[in-house]
Amino acid sequence: MIIGRMGFIILAGFLLLSFLFALFHMIPGDPAVLLAGDNASKDVIESIRGAYGFDRPLYVQYGTYMSHVVLGDFGVSNYSRQPVLGIVLSRVLNTAQLATLAMIFAVVVSLTLGSLSATFWGSSLDKTVTVGSLVGICLPVFVTGIAGIYFFGVYLEWLPIAGMASWANYVLPVITLGTYQAAIFTRMVRSCMIDALGKEFVITARAKGVAEWRIVLTHALPNAFLPIITLFGLGFGHTLGGSVVIESIFNWPGLGRLMVESVLTRDLPIIQASIFFFAIIFITLNMLVDILYTWFDPRISY
Amino acid sequence: MLPRLKNLLGSLAVTALLASSAAVAQDAAKPQYGGQLIYAQSGEKFTLFMGRSTDQSGQDVWLHACETLVELDPKNEIKPLLAKSWKTSPDGKTVTFKLQEGVKFHDGSPFNAEAAAFVFNEAKAKKFIYLPLLEGFEKATADSEYEMSFHLAAPFPALLPTLGYRPLCIFSPTAYKAVGEAGLATKVVGTGPFVHTQFVKGEYTIFEKNKDYWQAGKPYFDSVKIVIVPDAATRTAMLERGEIDRTVQLGDLELARLERNKSVLVRTVPSTRQFYVVLNHKVPMLANPTVRRALNYAIDKAGIVQSVFAGRGASLMTAPTLMEGVVGYTDMRAAGEETIFPYDPDKALALMKEAGYAFNGGVLKDPQGQPVKLKLFTPRGATKGDYQIAQLLQTFLKQVGITAELTVMESAAFSSATNLGPDDAKYDMALLSWGIPTADPDQPMMYFTHTNAWKPYGANRMFFSDAEIDRLANAAHIETDPAKRNALVKQWMARLLVTAPVIYLPTLNLGLAGRTYLKGDEILAVDNYPAHFAWFDKAEMERQGVKR
Repeated sequence: MIIGRMGFIILAGFLLLSFLFALFHMIPGDPAVLLAGDNASKDVIESIRGAYGFDRPLYVQYGTYMSHVVLGDFGVSNYSRQPVLGIVLSRVLNTAQLATLAMIFAVVVSLTLGSLSATFWGSSLDKTVTVGSLVGICLPVFVTGIAGIYFFGVYLEWLPIAGMASWANYVLPVITLGTYQAAIFTRMVRSCMIDALGKEFVITARAKGVAEWRIVLTHALPNAFLPIITLFGLGFGHTLGGSVVIESIFNWPGLGRLMVESVLTRDLPIIQASIFFFAIIFITLNMLVDILYTWFDPRISY
Repeated sequence: MLPRLKNLLGSLAVTALLASSAAVAQDAAKPQYGGQLIYAQSGEKFTLFMGRSTDQSGQDVWLHACETLVELDPKNEIKPLLAKSWKTSPDGKTVTFKLQEGVKFHDGSPFNAEAAAFVFNEAKAKKFIYLPLLEGFEKATADSEYEMSFHLAAPFPALLPTLGYRPLCIFSPTAYKAVGEAGLATKVVGTGPFVHTQFVKGEYTIFEKNKDYWQAGKPYFDSVKIVIVPDAATRTAMLERGEIDRTVQLGDLELARLERNKSVLVRTVPSTRQFYVVLNHKVPMLANPTVRRALNYAIDKAGIVQSVFAGRGASLMTAPTLMEGVVGYTDMRAAGEETIFPYDPDKALALMKEAGYAFNGGVLKDPQGQPVKLKLFTPRGATKGDYQIAQLLQTFLKQVGITAELTVMESAAFSSATNLGPDDAKYDMALLSWGIPTADPDQPMMYFTHTNAWKPYGANRMFFSDAEIDRLANAAHIETDPAKRNALVKQWMARLLVTAPVIYLPTLNLGLAGRTYLKGDEILAVDNYPAHFAWFDKAEMERQGVKR
């Protein structure tokens, strides 16, 4: 099953790169003209096309590109002439760190708050959590991010603002990104748990005299997990997407920022590799979710 | 006993404080050595190789490590740098430079006439992007160890200001031959006060002090770190916190807030970067100069400055295309007016009427009785305030009965749509901005309004053609007598007021915000904010609690 899945990833990656190649040659924006500047003469633009290989027929450019990609060579940046793979991989790691930590934060917070909220359904704690998560969903990350920067960075001077120099740099971006996801997850965990806690096996457990905390942790939670895992898998994807904004605000040297900058300058090799890696991460995560499914529910098999 | 001891200690402390503050006052005027300047820019250059980059943002990257033959000072006057002096031959076709002696490139190779000549000859052979700026350049020759000559096909009065343009700095031929253009795309090797040591794409660039720098005693910083921070709000917060020492390209509201911070110094000066609306003269209505003048009068320029730039981020134009600081500039406003083409919708309508257009019931109709509709292309976010200006233009045009349809594009797509020749261009109007980095009128005269500069290969997106404009430009282009040349430039501007090839809009002001302990940094022409010879007032830095 895993081998089949890997085959699918390779096929998807190949189709994606072909699609991106076609797309970026169809949309307007000629890198040679962007590079040449406003007063460029025909000679100059032609010389850039020649120097950077933009003058070759498209199918030749496509063929060369794909045959290099198969060997792990994603080409060089149109402008800085550095190998794309090196630039993109270091950015992938930075983004992965940010997204993973934010996800851990979101999962821990949402499982705790969601379970508590469901266990004490209708209490003031439940209401606070419900309202809190609603507010969290409504606040866009660029608002909470800037507010966090000003409060903790400029006013209190507790945390650094930008970059990823020390552990302290991680706090604000991880919490900003994580809180937003946690708000979405908490509502889902809460409703799944309320559902599970109303099932007959819970009533049986209660009748047997099992402690309430035990019912929640060992009986209800595992049964509520299937939809929650799906949500976490998709949520990780959203966290990666959301990191684009967070990376700009906190000047985090991640893949999202790189991608935006490269789109604006039509640095095609970097755009292709960035989107490719984003997609591969997304597909891999979905595969992991599917594997986790079979683990949590042995009835499912592929 | 205790209170007395406290008093004693207190007075000792006061005495010490007074003594140290006196020492600070003495030192304040004298540059202090050491420290790392951290300078945030909004974006990075496409490439660090000068021969392939003309984007005007962040030219400061080069000046740390690579020097030009001459430089422009804050008054846009030409000062010697790697060239000590220069002489033009009587026929104006040869310019000979005496170069600084004993200067070395960062890779240890010697700077001399041969190296300087190599750079310019290579620029010609390999068609470096800046080559069109060096009009009529034939070759450079090393006449002796430290004497280099420029040979021109015809006299070129704008040569010196052009040579002060940062991308024309002299890089090390040895390094270039070793690693080529691709190698120099991420490394600057020149003669400058700092040695380029690190480049991380999209993140930062680091320069370390050049211990063998030829200008004795300089520079003062141990190193300079240029960090790329695209978000203006983040740059502002970093400056307030002291994570960076200076930054540029902030919004007007952010500047206004920073002005209230006593540890931050905010400076604003007019730049040469101006907005204008390209009018496509291939559109029959816009081929008529009377209509074009009418459009100029229909736009409230002062209103744009107030509402888009909070009254501070832009200045009104006082002459067409040129502004103060550019060679040959003269104030061309009518007596008592604050700008050229001052806002006057009645006059606009009167001119439209003269051109055969009728204004009825809030709608302007052409001589065939059709309502006037024009397509306005605008980028969003290419230059600060562009999209907001486009929206205001739409409103102002509505007041004279013209329907302007906005087409909004991201900057690369916009650049593509406005780089087409006369038969392919789809816009009636397009909002653009451009700067005059050489501070010389030659560029606008030859590449903006000249018939030979029609897109796709110049900057004449209007497809404007006027025999008198071309004649004046050609004459000024080869006129070596500054007084005669300035007279030609003035005639050219006067003719622009009559022909109105574009709608003239305000000029951007450059904003620079830095911590007050940073001394000796400057603002120059378009996007030049040199701080390579700046220094820190360390006592003040400590007082503000900034530690690195």
